[in-house]
Amino acid sequence: MSLDQAEPAAPPAAGPSPRKPGRRDGGATGLLGRSRRSGRWWTPWLFLAPALILFLYFKFIPMANALTMSFQEVQPYLGNKWVGTDNYATVLQSHGFREAAWHTVVLAAGQTAGSMALGLALALLMEGQSRRLKIVRSAAFLPVVVPLAVVAELWRIMYHPTGDGMLNSLLGMVGVGPSGFINDPDTSMASIMLTGIWRGAPYDMMIILAGLTSVDRGLYEAAKVDGASRWQRVWHVAVPGLRSVFSILFILAAIRGLRVFTEVFLLTNGGPDGSTEVVMTLIYKLGLEQNRLGVGAAGAVLLFVATLILTVVVQLLRRRESK
Amino acid sequence: MQRSRWIGAGVLASTLVLTSCSSGPAGVDAKQDPKAPLELWTRTTPGGPGEQGALKLATAFEKKTGYKVKVTAIFDDFETKLQQRAAQKNLPDIVMNDVTQLGAMHSQGLLREIDLDKIKNSGQIIGQGLDSGKAVDGKQYGLPYSAQASALLIRKDWRQKLKLDTPRNWDDFAAMAKAFTTRDPDGDGKNNTAGLAAPLSTKRGYASWYFSNFLWAAGGDFITETGKGSGTYKPASTTKASVEAMQWFRDLGCKAKAIQPGAVTMDTPPTNETFEAGRTGMFVVGPYLLPRFDETLGKDKYEVVPMPKGPKDATVLAEGGSVYLMAGSANQAGQDAFAGFAVSAEGQKTGMEGETGYTVQLPVNKTVDITQVRPDPRWKTYAQAYQDSGRYAPSIPNWTPVRQATADTVNALMADCGLDTGAKLRELDKQLAEILKEQGIAAS
Repeated sequence: MSLDQAEPAAPPAAGPSPRKPGRRDGGATGLLGRSRRSGRWWTPWLFLAPALILFLYFKFIPMANALTMSFQEVQPYLGNKWVGTDNYATVLQSHGFREAAWHTVVLAAGQTAGSMALGLALALLMEGQSRRLKIVRSAAFLPVVVPLAVVAELWRIMYHPTGDGMLNSLLGMVGVGPSGFINDPDTSMASIMLTGIWRGAPYDMMIILAGLTSVDRGLYEAAKVDGASRWQRVWHVAVPGLRSVFSILFILAAIRGLRVFTEVFLLTNGGPDGSTEVVMTLIYKLGLEQNRLGVGAAGAVLLFVATLILTVVVQLLRRRESK
Repeated sequence: MQRSRWIGAGVLASTLVLTSCSSGPAGVDAKQDPKAPLELWTRTTPGGPGEQGALKLATAFEKKTGYKVKVTAIFDDFETKLQQRAAQKNLPDIVMNDVTQLGAMHSQGLLREIDLDKIKNSGQIIGQGLDSGKAVDGKQYGLPYSAQASALLIRKDWRQKLKLDTPRNWDDFAAMAKAFTTRDPDGDGKNNTAGLAAPLSTKRGYASWYFSNFLWAAGGDFITETGKGSGTYKPASTTKASVEAMQWFRDLGCKAKAIQPGAVTMDTPPTNETFEAGRTGMFVVGPYLLPRFDETLGKDKYEVVPMPKGPKDATVLAEGGSVYLMAGSANQAGQDAFAGFAVSAEGQKTGMEGETGYTVQLPVNKTVDITQVRPDPRWKTYAQAYQDSGRYAPSIPNWTPVRQATADTVNALMADCGLDTGAKLRELDKQLAEILKEQGIAAS
């Protein structure tokens, strides 16, 4: 959030791709056909205008600017200099970019898989109509509502690296540790992943819960009659019924994972020893700490392209599967 | 349907083209209006005593000259917010920020050159301070309004309990750090203290900032000028002195375990807290934290002493704040007047007033005697350290990448005790060479 506000280069990374279909939906064929008959072709555009203007100014223009900037050496008061693909070369050759890209992929994959697995487990545990379940569900949903800055501070305290730290005292009880958590290059990535899963799982849980209501109860009963065990019912009835939910969750979580910034920035700022450096923190450092906005923008464009490719590939796979 | 689509696309495309066309250079010469209010940004916590200090300074300036000033205090992501305003081509008129930000802002053309003839009292600025405001081309782009240097804070009660003397050299320093870590100086029977507080996160390059105190005292360097005044530099992190300094500092963390746990992910606020909370016993830091520690810890609990002598000398990091006159201002006369007031004896004394809201740490005006404004002898210690041993980061086009690269290396070496110091520093030298080349100041 903070970066979105702070950096003009960030919007491309915000990956507006999931919204694109929504934008196009507006031009519904039936409506247009009718309006052409009555000669008022601009009516639908009039209705779309507020949204389009907002998107234009807060998404598309900044995106276009970032794209331009990625080919320039940005010096607002001296005049930007056109440098061709130099910025891209700098980013791609930059010390640690490939490493940061790899860390991003690892973190995105780990958090996506972890959140979905935990989310599914929580959803299965909390499925039902009981009033008490609603309270438990609200409680479980809390991590999503808590601001990320607070979450990071909370986990920083829990991760205190000495024996009297909160998690370390728990580890001490079972005779392990103390672990350095975010302060040790070997465990820092896993620690950030854990924080991400803790925060992401309830969100996934809510969507899976909504998906579970659409699974036909009759199928469960039929399976039960056929002698399926509880686990078999989950695996063969619930999970296939949730396929479309999973693919949406996967896209959302993967995009969220690729854009991961705040928790890394607040917990480790890419350290120790660059072990948690992700693309967004690197872009932030290049663009805003070192004032090389052109190079930062090039990194952001690359991240946007990666996100776009991922989204398109998943959509294509889905389409092929549904055929 | 096709027609309407084309129209929509056309509108979108032309707006995009128009918007990108408008991003040409705005030029430095804005239409002048001597009555235009001045917008001043200062890097300090909003609502805190620093903001009060800046407001006091602005009010005194307004009263004296009649110019109007609007003060905005920003602490977090100051540089980011400045970048946003630069992108909008609407910079504040005056920025009060760290000296080391000069290169980064200058290279982007955000600063207006300062004509010292137009600045009242500029002749009274101490030479070392004035030099810190010069860019690599020798022109003046910043005027210091406050200086500071590092000194050593020690938990006095701990030192007395363990019957130790204040450290005079690095051996004493390391011994004290070790004693504070292992000999239970707070007497609570628990192994919960560390000798030295150190912000070793890579954020804003803190690790490099902190380590420079030790590196320079050992005679080492990050980069070194190839000849005095040559303007070209070469990497220096693998010189014997640099390697030894790194090894010594590393041993403090890795072998003696005398640096606070978690230091490698801590920036300044949590590090300050470790000293306040009685978790660490020594802290190398500037004078700006004295009011805070006096309040939270108590004046009698800690003492301020000069940094002990290293293998070479007692060089410490000198830093401070500069007044930057930003490009595109509609009121250049007002900018000049403010800079002149900030460095004048009156401005400096106003900035030093009060018990907490100092804008000025150590005065940069030769005619101001710190002992008269602040009788507290601890300030004299700082003033002495600045005068005798203070050293600023060198003026290169952009110091920030150097600080970032060195911070990354220091952070890595302190976080992973298994790394090979020599190899890691050789890697750093390579990176520094690239940075110097990119900035056009590498020795051929």
